[in-house]
Amino acid sequence: MPYYAGIDIGSTAIKIVIIDKDANIVGQKVSGSGSMFYKYAKESLAQLVQDIGITLNDIVYIVSTGYGRKLFKEADETISEITANAFGAVKAGESFGTIRTIINIGGQDSKAIGLDEHGHVVNFAMNDRCAAGTGKFLDVAAAKLEIDVEELGECHFNASGTPLSINSTCAVFAESEIIGLLGNEHSKEDIVAGIHFSIAKRIIRLAKKVGLNGVIYFDGGPALNAGLVAAIEDELGCELAIPEYPQITTALGAAILAKEGYSYSVSKELQE
Amino acid sequence: MKQNEQPEKATRRVRKVEDPKARHQRHEAMEALKMLDALRHDFSKPLSSMDYFYELFEKVYCRREKLHSAKPMVGTLCIQIPYEIIYAMDAVPVRLCNGFHTNEQSGGEFMPAKSCSLVKATLGMLKQEDIPGVDKLDYLVHPTTCDQKTKSISMVEEIGYDVYHMEFPRVKESEESREYWRRTIRKFTKDLSKDLGRKINRRSLKSAIQKVGKAQLAYHRLNELRKLKSVPILGKDIFLITNAFFFDDIERWTEMTLAVCSEAEARVKEGTSAAGKRSPRILYTGSPPIFPNLKLPYMIEQADGVIVADESCSANRLFNDMVSVDEWFMYDMVDAVADRYLKGCTCPIFTKNDDRKRRLKELIESYNVDGVVYQSFAGCQVYEMEQRSIQQQMEALGIPMLYVETDYSPGQGGQLSTRIEAFMESLKVKNRRKQEG
Repeated sequence: MPYYAGIDIGSTAIKIVIIDKDANIVGQKVSGSGSMFYKYAKESLAQLVQDIGITLNDIVYIVSTGYGRKLFKEADETISEITANAFGAVKAGESFGTIRTIINIGGQDSKAIGLDEHGHVVNFAMNDRCAAGTGKFLDVAAAKLEIDVEELGECHFNASGTPLSINSTCAVFAESEIIGLLGNEHSKEDIVAGIHFSIAKRIIRLAKKVGLNGVIYFDGGPALNAGLVAAIEDELGCELAIPEYPQITTALGAAILAKEGYSYSVSKELQE
Repeated sequence: MKQNEQPEKATRRVRKVEDPKARHQRHEAMEALKMLDALRHDFSKPLSSMDYFYELFEKVYCRREKLHSAKPMVGTLCIQIPYEIIYAMDAVPVRLCNGFHTNEQSGGEFMPAKSCSLVKATLGMLKQEDIPGVDKLDYLVHPTTCDQKTKSISMVEEIGYDVYHMEFPRVKESEESREYWRRTIRKFTKDLSKDLGRKINRRSLKSAIQKVGKAQLAYHRLNELRKLKSVPILGKDIFLITNAFFFDDIERWTEMTLAVCSEAEARVKEGTSAAGKRSPRILYTGSPPIFPNLKLPYMIEQADGVIVADESCSANRLFNDMVSVDEWFMYDMVDAVADRYLKGCTCPIFTKNDDRKRRLKELIESYNVDGVVYQSFAGCQVYEMEQRSIQQQMEALGIPMLYVETDYSPGQGGQLSTRIEAFMESLKVKNRRKQEG
């Protein structure tokens, strides 16, 4: 049976999704991208293939996406993570209704994507170069507060009263702001909540550029952080659609595009 | 940090510190070569007539050969300085607006952190006192166009240059502005003639207007080909050609541009296209791409887009409007030259900019544009501000627009190319759906 793979090589993690001919997910994997994107992506794919009991030859078409997309030489096609994210969100978010806005926070960027009623990208906005308000910023803040990134969500709900205000979401400047707040004897919990709300405000500003319509879908690694999800919902005043596995939406989109790309290339061969 | 340890001893490597000027020039050459290689080799179906231009840039920026000799060199620091007047005195205008990241960094010391890359790079280049392609600068003209250019005049003077201040109005439509600008140009004509000790007369000005006009016509002939369904030349080559106009000998430039025209026209006859069948047709507008900062045009066309038109002061605006003379008398010609530079200008510095909107609309229609890419250099307030009204205009026209804020740093590839690729992908989907009905 033919299988299709989508590989999303991001700044922090490599996400791989393998689907079958009916677009069912048969395998998925998240691993660190480190400094050797290509090597780790290849290893990760080999491992995943082995885990689900197929061989690399069973994968007939691969689409790569993410920062490292061009490095993955075995890919039949590359696609930008914006297009892949849109395809993945439409599939993964089917049960939520028609998704018109996607908010994605990744390791080093954040973006908002506007979709039309058919799920096609109509516009998008991305943060500028720096890692302000992204997963990297959460890493830096957690490290300074001496807690694990996984604990951030729990911390958020233990904050007292009005959250603190963190003015800078820049990973570097925020650290000195956090030091200032610690110096004023604020609790870790309050600081964490402050960080989440500052990211939430920032991402909503970005999302407003593309327009907030219909179901708002939130994905990317930081969507695993329940505290951040709550902060964005509070700032938006509505509920977000969070997929079961928020990290793999873009890889899933690439896998779907791999399936389409394969049938397109086959039909072209038949024509010729 | 480890506690209670002996302080560490410094280790030094024996080496020779490179001469700063040589190092700067080496960095410039590397930057130039990298872009030239990319423009030349990363695209299929190159035009062989483009070799002249690739070699010209290599000659000037890598081998640092001088181009003109025995003629006075007049440096210009904006598009608004009339080439016709300078040519009429048998002097050579050289536009010094710079596109090097190396110079942007060294010129950064003069300017606030968030300011225009072009102004910073130009200051950095002037500071080097060894201007590529130019043996010796005899004159330097600086207009009071945008704020950053205006305020940087004093820094250029601080470096040690004598600068001719050319006053420029901020309102375009009024009769007062028109008269004010005409007076500026009349005065400039007199002052330049006196300072260079060179005469200008009816005959020499008429022939200069015609010389520039011929160059404009060559550009127009080339541009006509970009209206076709299968475009025979990519935008990255057009930008290189128009950039060469900054400093090349004008007659040689015209001849070489016509050679590109002929080759491109032959391609049209063969039915060869420089772009793909589904390549989205892009209109480029905003802060000017100046060699070697051609990364945005490069990225657009690497992402399978094709730049079919532009509205920027490093390309289209240089050639768009021609001098229109009623009678070939001195006073009429000088005023006609002045008018060409003010009336045709679509720079965002003016209070109102309906002309820019009109031109964009006209370009979209006649070049059959699918999408607009609007670049603003970070810190270029006027382009940043005017983005809003252009965005609104594009929404009304139903033309998708991508707005990008960049500077000259080469290391911005990842995020920028993702945006550009996604934009091209969305335009392709839109086109496909339009075809399917």
